[in-house]
Amino acid sequence: MPRVLAHRFRDEFDWVLFGLTFLISLAGVINLYSTGKSSGSPDLYLTQIYWLVFGGCMAFAVAIVDYRHYEHLGYVLFGIGIALLVLVLVVGTEVNNAKRWITFGPDFGFQPSELMKVFLVVALAKLLHHDPRSEGRTLYDLVIPAAMTAVAMALILKEPDLGTALLCLLIFLSIMLLTRLKARSLFLLVATTPLIGVLAWNYLLKPYQKERVTSFWNSFVSPEADRLGAGWHAYQSIVAIGSGEVFGKGYLRGTAGPHHFLPEQRTDFPFSIFAEEQGFVGAFLLIAAYCALVLWSVRIAANARDRFGSVLAVGVGSIFFWHILINLGMVMGVLPVVGVTLPLFSYGGSSILTFMLCVGLLMNVSIHRYRIAGGHHGDFA
Amino acid sequence: MYISSRSELSEFRRRYRWMRLFVVLTFLVLVGRLVQLQIVDGREHRDESISNVVRKEWIPAVRGRIFDAKGRVIATSIPSHAVAVIPHYFDTGKGFARLVEFLGLSEADAEAMMAKISERLANPKDMRRFQQITVADGISQEQLAAIKSHEDELPGVQILDVPVRYYPYGNMASHLIGYMNEVNADDIKKPVATVEDPYRASDRIGRSGLERKFEAELRGVRGWRKKTVDARGLALTSEEAETLVIEPKLQEPRPGSDITLTIDMGLQKIVDESLRGHPSAAVMVMDVHSGRILAAASKPSFDPNLITRGLTAEENRALDENPFRPRIDKTIYENYFPGSVFKPFTAMAALEEGIVTSEDVFHCSGFHEFGRRTFRCPKPHGDLTLREGITVSCNVLFYNLAEMTGMDRIAKYAREFGFGARTGAGYNSEAAGSIPTRAWYDEKFPGQFRIGFTLNAAIGQGNTKVTLMQVVSAYSAIANGGTLYRPQVIRRIETPEGDVVKEFHPEIVRRTAVSQRSLDLIMEALTGVVEDKDGTAYGARDPRVSVAGKTGTAQVARRARQPGDDMQRFYYMNRDHAWFAAVTPAAAPEIAIVVLIEHGGAGGENAAPVGIEIARRYFDEVAPREEAPLVAEKNDKARQRPKRVVADETEAVTASTHRR
Repeated sequence: MPRVLAHRFRDEFDWVLFGLTFLISLAGVINLYSTGKSSGSPDLYLTQIYWLVFGGCMAFAVAIVDYRHYEHLGYVLFGIGIALLVLVLVVGTEVNNAKRWITFGPDFGFQPSELMKVFLVVALAKLLHHDPRSEGRTLYDLVIPAAMTAVAMALILKEPDLGTALLCLLIFLSIMLLTRLKARSLFLLVATTPLIGVLAWNYLLKPYQKERVTSFWNSFVSPEADRLGAGWHAYQSIVAIGSGEVFGKGYLRGTAGPHHFLPEQRTDFPFSIFAEEQGFVGAFLLIAAYCALVLWSVRIAANARDRFGSVLAVGVGSIFFWHILINLGMVMGVLPVVGVTLPLFSYGGSSILTFMLCVGLLMNVSIHRYRIAGGHHGDFA
Repeated sequence: MYISSRSELSEFRRRYRWMRLFVVLTFLVLVGRLVQLQIVDGREHRDESISNVVRKEWIPAVRGRIFDAKGRVIATSIPSHAVAVIPHYFDTGKGFARLVEFLGLSEADAEAMMAKISERLANPKDMRRFQQITVADGISQEQLAAIKSHEDELPGVQILDVPVRYYPYGNMASHLIGYMNEVNADDIKKPVATVEDPYRASDRIGRSGLERKFEAELRGVRGWRKKTVDARGLALTSEEAETLVIEPKLQEPRPGSDITLTIDMGLQKIVDESLRGHPSAAVMVMDVHSGRILAAASKPSFDPNLITRGLTAEENRALDENPFRPRIDKTIYENYFPGSVFKPFTAMAALEEGIVTSEDVFHCSGFHEFGRRTFRCPKPHGDLTLREGITVSCNVLFYNLAEMTGMDRIAKYAREFGFGARTGAGYNSEAAGSIPTRAWYDEKFPGQFRIGFTLNAAIGQGNTKVTLMQVVSAYSAIANGGTLYRPQVIRRIETPEGDVVKEFHPEIVRRTAVSQRSLDLIMEALTGVVEDKDGTAYGARDPRVSVAGKTGTAQVARRARQPGDDMQRFYYMNRDHAWFAAVTPAAAPEIAIVVLIEHGGAGGENAAPVGIEIARRYFDEVAPREEAPLVAEKNDKARQRPKRVVADETEAVTASTHRR
């Protein structure tokens, strides 16, 4: 059996997915060399390469095992994810007033919420896989998946990590878009959203989170006044990106990064540095690569051999999509500043491993898109 | 295990197209935003990113110096050190305690400093945390050394080089010279000085006296140097950073102009010394032939060095609560009753209007009855002429003159000599004094005018008020043959290289419409005040110098005694002000000296000795001559009020009699 798997891996390998992943990661490493060099830690890009290699190996391992096994484990994985989220609230390390990390020693740690996004996708995929419909769904049908998502979100909000919780919601909605809703249910959902928003604003959001949203709003209302206050980061990011103009200031010649005008530039604002140094040409190519990556996951979903594969690919694709949209929207000043990383581009082991896991899953669905003879279920006799 | 077939995926199939469309549209929006930022607004953002990094570092302009008439430095800028703190890097624990210790701050000052720092640290996103706050100015060499040698304990503490204004003469003539302090919001809003260099926060500005009057000339224009900095305001040293700087990189500052005053600090020192023992007084010395002020003292004064450095709350209160009002320039800001110092001008009116001649004899029996009121004279003077009336300062004679001349004619001549109007010296706030007329009374107190008002006005009481500056100008006019000059305190403005920007020439306000005969008579009488045995200033006479002058005693509004008043203070504050207005040498006057001793009592006893001492020392130390000037014979009919040149010739011929 391993031999068969290896052959199939060789024959059906998704070079497009691999190429996009490789190019984006490479751009990330090159960009990180620039930011790391000027901020006094020139070896960061090496750490990033280690993580990418490690993550690549993991993706390979994830890809090679037929995803049906993940389907079996769907709810178990979800349970593990929930357990880890509870654990982080108990033993997590507090950084900036938030308990998001489970650390092992001083150098290594990971964020359960990152894993949770993937496990949520797997669990929802399993749920839909076993619930085929041809008629539209009612809200009642959505109760179970919504409840699963809500539990995960609640635990993540408790940390607190607004960005990731929001991502869980978006992933859930994206997956549910695959299915058909009855018109009446859809209307009800749309109508109650503002109500949920108001409730969330009043009871769920922390003051600093509210401040970010108000700052974002203020930056539209009175951009000048906001610049020295909370909107400073967004403003600096806009200036950095804009100042790249068409062809950029040239590699290693940016000024926003090295001179500390941008906070969290390796994790949250790497695109600003990239756009400043590479200009519109480079930034456009990067965005195009991301667009291709997301479209490619939709294609993988469309070509998947079963519902589980399709939902898995759409879910993973939506993880990419929303991360990209929120991060780029934030650095370009069209969305509020929320700490969401740019897939495969931002610095950080936790982020890299999560997205490599995602790439592995996409690759898996892509490779196993055909039912083959000798499959252990033997359904293609 | 349920395995769906491809056909069963139909629930999803229609969705992929919509997903693709949504994804593509979303990315198009992102690219659109990118186009807007990088292509449409790219140039603007690039400029912003450069101005983010390139900062102008200001180079202060050296403020112009102030010299006295003899070229002595009165005000200059000297290097000084200030201490600044960058909150972000500052150690608010130990470092703060050490800094407070080195600066010797009081608890209140230390708290105020901490409040400023923590305000900027409160919000982690407040970028002002990287901007320095000046916490101490003009620190001593010891403080500087202490801070420098403990640098490692004081992170975020910086020493700044800032030129500070220095007044080598301290308290001397400080009201005239003025002082500087920090600009306030109003100064920044309405620029007083050059348009090209508006005031910026923490700039210093001339706040009073000549420092204020000539702010525009003295200030200069600051320069700048472009510097590359990071978001924290720290300097960048890389070559790449240098390439961001657009030429020109440096604008040299333009130093301010120097100004030379008419004041002679040598004479000023004499004036100050002669006022020893008088806590509250004012003196002005004027060159009678040009209107130039040679000395101006208002006592008590203040040390502009301290004010420029910034007063502590305690020093400030001491200045405010001092009963002798050190903040007020008594030579120009304050109105006083002139008392008998005014009499020569009443006499002038009577003479010029033909009401009295030098021969007319009046009788003084010690009082003058008018209506139901009795106006008193200090003593019965018997028969006397106008000249004698001035010499002994007989009130009764002047009551008679007043009655005959009338208020409006007295006012006309007083105004002719500059009373009742601002002299226009042009610095500090100047009071106008007041010379009442019938019309004035009709307006203020309709229907209540009494001739008695005229009697009081004639002897410098009632509603007659003057400033020292007016008195010194008017006496100069009497002494120089009737020309009223505008008081001048400044000789010239020069660039630091010595090119004259503006020269100030004597300015004649008017040639008074009075006859030389009247002037001569008044001068003769004034000489008698000092030289005659019964003259009111005879007691203060100094045989080594010839002075013509007039004493005066200005009544002070009596204060009722408050419970708890210090008795000594109470009696002192109720004493009259003593005046002495004089010109010297009597025969050919060169300078006019006016002395006012607040609460000095009688002018002859208290103010005259001061004036005469100044006159004597002026000729001994400031303007010594090999051959001293003529002492006037009392009835020298050849007494002229000639121009200075003539006077000098006279001196040369008839010198030996000056010192008896």
